[in-house]
Amino acid sequence: MRKVLQPLLLVLVLALIPYVGVTYGKLDYLFGIIIPYTAVAILVLGMLWRLIDWVRRPVPFRIPTTCGQEKSLDWVKTNPLESPSNPFMAALRMLSEVLFFRSLFRNTKAELHGGPKLVYGSHKWLWLGGLAFHWSLLIIVVRHARFFMETMPMPIQMIDSFDRFLDVTVPAFYLTDAIALAAITFLVARRLSDEKMRLLSLSTDYFPLFLIGGIALAGISMRYVTKVNIMPVKSLTMTLASFGFTAPEPIGALFYVHLFLVCVLLVYVPFSKLLHMGGIFLSPTRNLPNDSRAKRHVNPWNPDIKFRTYAEYEDEFREKMKKAGLPVDKQ
Amino acid sequence: MNKFSQILGAVAAGLAVFIAAWFFIHAGHGGSTSAHAEDPAVAAATVQPGGAPIDSSKCILPVEQMRSSHMQVLDKWRHDSVRDGNRVYVNPEGAHFEKSLNTCLGCHNNNPMFCFMCHQYADVKPTCWDCHLSPMEVPQ
Repeated sequence: MRKVLQPLLLVLVLALIPYVGVTYGKLDYLFGIIIPYTAVAILVLGMLWRLIDWVRRPVPFRIPTTCGQEKSLDWVKTNPLESPSNPFMAALRMLSEVLFFRSLFRNTKAELHGGPKLVYGSHKWLWLGGLAFHWSLLIIVVRHARFFMETMPMPIQMIDSFDRFLDVTVPAFYLTDAIALAAITFLVARRLSDEKMRLLSLSTDYFPLFLIGGIALAGISMRYVTKVNIMPVKSLTMTLASFGFTAPEPIGALFYVHLFLVCVLLVYVPFSKLLHMGGIFLSPTRNLPNDSRAKRHVNPWNPDIKFRTYAEYEDEFREKMKKAGLPVDKQ
Repeated sequence: MNKFSQILGAVAAGLAVFIAAWFFIHAGHGGSTSAHAEDPAVAAATVQPGGAPIDSSKCILPVEQMRSSHMQVLDKWRHDSVRDGNRVYVNPEGAHFEKSLNTCLGCHNNNPMFCFMCHQYADVKPTCWDCHLSPMEVPQ
């Protein structure tokens, strides 16, 4: 239970810091300008540091994990998507993984049925929950462009109007708000409901979920319930987008809770499991075409060993071998 | 290092250069960031919105509350007046107002851009003018 309550408490304390700081300390400038710039700098530099480190690791051989027939002889039926033989198909496989989580679609669940009967069944809930969570998060992030640009570009406007197409409540209800909250709830419940998952889950699994949940709750509350004046918010975000340092006008403390938690998330990304965002593209088991049979891959730092063939050996000792009566290849 | 990683490295480097370039381009305009304050839209939000009311002495609710929640007030007004026929609004101080856009525009009509300045700046498109005549369309 500690590994659930600890991150929850941590998120609550993190949310309280800007609330107290802005309400009692008048630290608007710190939380509105200094911390966001610092957070973005840490995110960009941290991501570059981690990814460049990974990119520089040599990958001399093909080590793809496949679940399909590799390309070999013409009459053997191949599975080009599951076992890609060229970079294009490998990119397709990577994209289908990133956009649709295909490997999670194969998720199975092992259950004991009535004693010694072990049954594996298809279990798509994690795939569905993960997909809903990631996609709604992406759409939420994209439609925040409203704050960082003077007018939203056409494609983002379309996403935005699609997101609010139900056209209920004022301000218009965003579908993704509800989907994201439902998905986070499911993902937390999934870890808590199953004995095995409870054992496997660490506090670093719960922390990002609670953090993103906190961000979403603060944002939704600002939009629909407690309300903040949006003009100083836009003014502050436009200042941030144009790298300005003008002090923000007074905004509700809840906005700073939202912003500070986002900053914590940005800083947290390069040093945690959330780096799967960038790391998935660098997974050698995913991004390499499986062409070991078609192409010879030589380890580039193999030491230059002088091999001695049997022919050379025989050349040296032919006479002696003949004298000893040993068979030789060449007379 | 495989080829894919090299491409990704190049993309990352390009992204870094792009961000740096963006920074320098916008840093050049750093001086004009304060121009946001002169922006009529922001000025309207920071100073009195649309100036002081003309004939009525008071707004229905405090300024801060109006700025953040006017859309919910108007939505409730619409619901009450159109669905329930209740057209009288009593504010927390006991003053009576008619639930009508004209109540707002009675005071805030000195500037035909009163609504649009903030809404354009925040990129918020209300549905009021789908049915109602907007102040911009009324000949002054």
